[in-house]
Amino acid sequence: MDLLEYQAKELFRDMGIPVLPSQRIDRPSDLKGLKIPYPVVLKSQVRAGGRGKAGGIEFVTTTIDAVAAAHRIFNLSIMGEYPQVLLAEAKYNALQELYLAVVLDRAERRAVLLGSSQGGTSTESAMEKMQRVVVDEDFSPFYARRLTQKMGLRSKVVISVSDIIERMYRLFVEQDLDLVEINPLGINPSGEVMALDGKVTVNDEAIARHPDLLQLAEKIPTVEGSGAGNDGAAIATATRNEPVSSISSCLGGSLGAPHFSKLDGNIGIICNGAALTMATLDLVYLCGGKPACFANIGGDTRWDLTPDDFVLRLTQALNLTIADASVKAVAIDIIGSAIDCNAVAAAIAACVQQSGRSLDRSIAPASSVTKPLNGWDSHHNGFLNGFGEISEGPALNFDLRQAESDSASLFSESSQPQRHGGISLIVRLCGTDLEPAKKSLAPLNIPVVDSLEEAIARAVAYANKI
Amino acid sequence: MNLKPDSKVLVQGITEPLGSIHAARMKAGGTNVVAGVSPGHGSEKLHDIPVFDLIEQALSAVGQVDVSVIFSAPFEACDCAFEAIAAGIRQIIIITEGVPPLDMVRLVRKAEATETLIVGPGTPGIIIPGKLLLGTHPADFYTKGPVGLLGRSGTLTYEIALELTNAGLGQSIALGIGGDAIVGSSFPQWLQILDEDDHTEVIVLVGEIGGFSEEAAAKYISEAIDKPVIAYVAGRHAPKGKRLGHAGNLIAAQISAGNPDKVSPSGADPETAQSKISAFKQAKIPVADRPSQIPELVKKALKHGVKKK
Repeated sequence: MDLLEYQAKELFRDMGIPVLPSQRIDRPSDLKGLKIPYPVVLKSQVRAGGRGKAGGIEFVTTTIDAVAAAHRIFNLSIMGEYPQVLLAEAKYNALQELYLAVVLDRAERRAVLLGSSQGGTSTESAMEKMQRVVVDEDFSPFYARRLTQKMGLRSKVVISVSDIIERMYRLFVEQDLDLVEINPLGINPSGEVMALDGKVTVNDEAIARHPDLLQLAEKIPTVEGSGAGNDGAAIATATRNEPVSSISSCLGGSLGAPHFSKLDGNIGIICNGAALTMATLDLVYLCGGKPACFANIGGDTRWDLTPDDFVLRLTQALNLTIADASVKAVAIDIIGSAIDCNAVAAAIAACVQQSGRSLDRSIAPASSVTKPLNGWDSHHNGFLNGFGEISEGPALNFDLRQAESDSASLFSESSQPQRHGGISLIVRLCGTDLEPAKKSLAPLNIPVVDSLEEAIARAVAYANKI
Repeated sequence: MNLKPDSKVLVQGITEPLGSIHAARMKAGGTNVVAGVSPGHGSEKLHDIPVFDLIEQALSAVGQVDVSVIFSAPFEACDCAFEAIAAGIRQIIIITEGVPPLDMVRLVRKAEATETLIVGPGTPGIIIPGKLLLGTHPADFYTKGPVGLLGRSGTLTYEIALELTNAGLGQSIALGIGGDAIVGSSFPQWLQILDEDDHTEVIVLVGEIGGFSEEAAAKYISEAIDKPVIAYVAGRHAPKGKRLGHAGNLIAAQISAGNPDKVSPSGADPETAQSKISAFKQAKIPVADRPSQIPELVKKALKHGVKKK
């Protein structure tokens, strides 16, 4: 998770890395009490990069200008994010701007020092000149000096820049960070250095042992479009979109909610384990379907996950999935060594039964829905034959109208056939004790199969029919 | 790697929720679990396994052990591994996921200096079907045979094992190197071990998006591996910006100037499934589109025997 600039600079200041005098601005009127002399720079405190180009940074010379600029910046969204705080900072005359970073290299399995003599807003020229030094043993300041030499620095800035790198490294290790970056590090005509902008990325696995960082994280607004989760993982570009709400769930080793993400198809996917979830999503697309949402209820390498917690997380995920009106079919894929198939089946049955009323509200009128009980398999015969074993007829059905007539007690408040469409579930479970699970879900028309690809193919066929 | 059916196994974190479940399963499956360690639980017994506060106490009671399997909490896992190394244990499996990466950096340095093999963190461990279970693998999904199965994390590895077993293809060994961002042993290390293993005739490598392990594996296979390898990569359709649950799926850190370490052999976006699949294809390694396709590719590879170099 990325800290905001002003938070990064607080960490810098505590570590003895020089930063400019600055003041936090919570509302435009705060500028009337500004203690820094003009001219000052007002900077939008969002996590997105490219703030300058987007108009999130303004130089101001008077209070009137400053208040007007603050109004503009507070109302300026940068990559979907509005600032809750601005930073007012003194101006600095830099003769030269450097790029410095400490980052973790996964392949080397070491911290790496990065430096470029071309810092500032042009990332391309910074990249061209980027130098790196791998910290392959215990850190010692010579690693920092080695980087300054590769960067081409000479005379007394070698000492001052090495000192900054050393402090960045200490911050990196002491706070369990993924990244400490200063860009630019300004050097003024008298050779003094100043961290003009900075970025700190906190490691999500480790943040729970840093109460001070947790406090900072709670002040960062959540960005829309991120899923919830607690394992501190994102895919590729997601680091900017990670929800801060996920952080608190790391506390005290609590499990938090399962990962749940929304997509734009009509099939709900629930799996245990991240890689299995990805493989299952791939299969949905490969079978010609589109996922509406997916949930990873957690793999089996969580040290504190008990079988009861597992079932609880399944229930949470299934409730979220069923409540999603775009979901027409749900495939639940669970595989593992310590899975209690009976408990899983019971939890699914309970969820489906209890969700009756909310389904009534969220599903389209019956007139717009093809009756799912007849013919879906013949319609998709050619496709399903590829999997060979679909023989048990129209099994993939949990149609509420049907369920009600089968078992009126499921929905005690439904006195007459409701106007709603069906939602179907299919469950993939493995293990030796499957028969009782199959039996307990059969009355609800929820088939239990032991092949993942069969489960997905049937869910897709059903969803595409709707 | 030095593992035998009668290897003596220590379980650290044996009283934790996951450790307790799997210590019992490992023992029930015939693995020689000789002792457990859980601070504060010394002189107790769990599943008929004696529990100690410290490894050195355990070893003076049961003698030297061959491997330790760690189920302790993420913030304690590396300390447990350091304790094991200090006690002379040179094979360590860290099942626990979510170990802070900088802890692992320190541990990896120590492991290199002491020639200790570390598997994980975030791993289902190792199974040698019919002989030895060190971790969370469901033993009944596996059977003896010629396939060396190499994955990253738990449940997808089980899924592939089940596909193989159902198709009549048993496994010589199966393991996950771990889903965490920094892991103790890499695909190339294990490819080398499996290449030298007499019981392994073909290797199945199960990759996923994130990091560069698969790219490194593809390069290593084309340079140094004689046995045929089949690959599969999960995450072709993984939506960008959605969380799935592995720290290993996270780009190391997004420095604003871009990451100078990112080199993709194909020119595809690094860390994506596309990049990994094209790396395998460039190395002439068959890539399965879906799990059920793996057995037929394995059968084809077994028929053709050793890869022509």
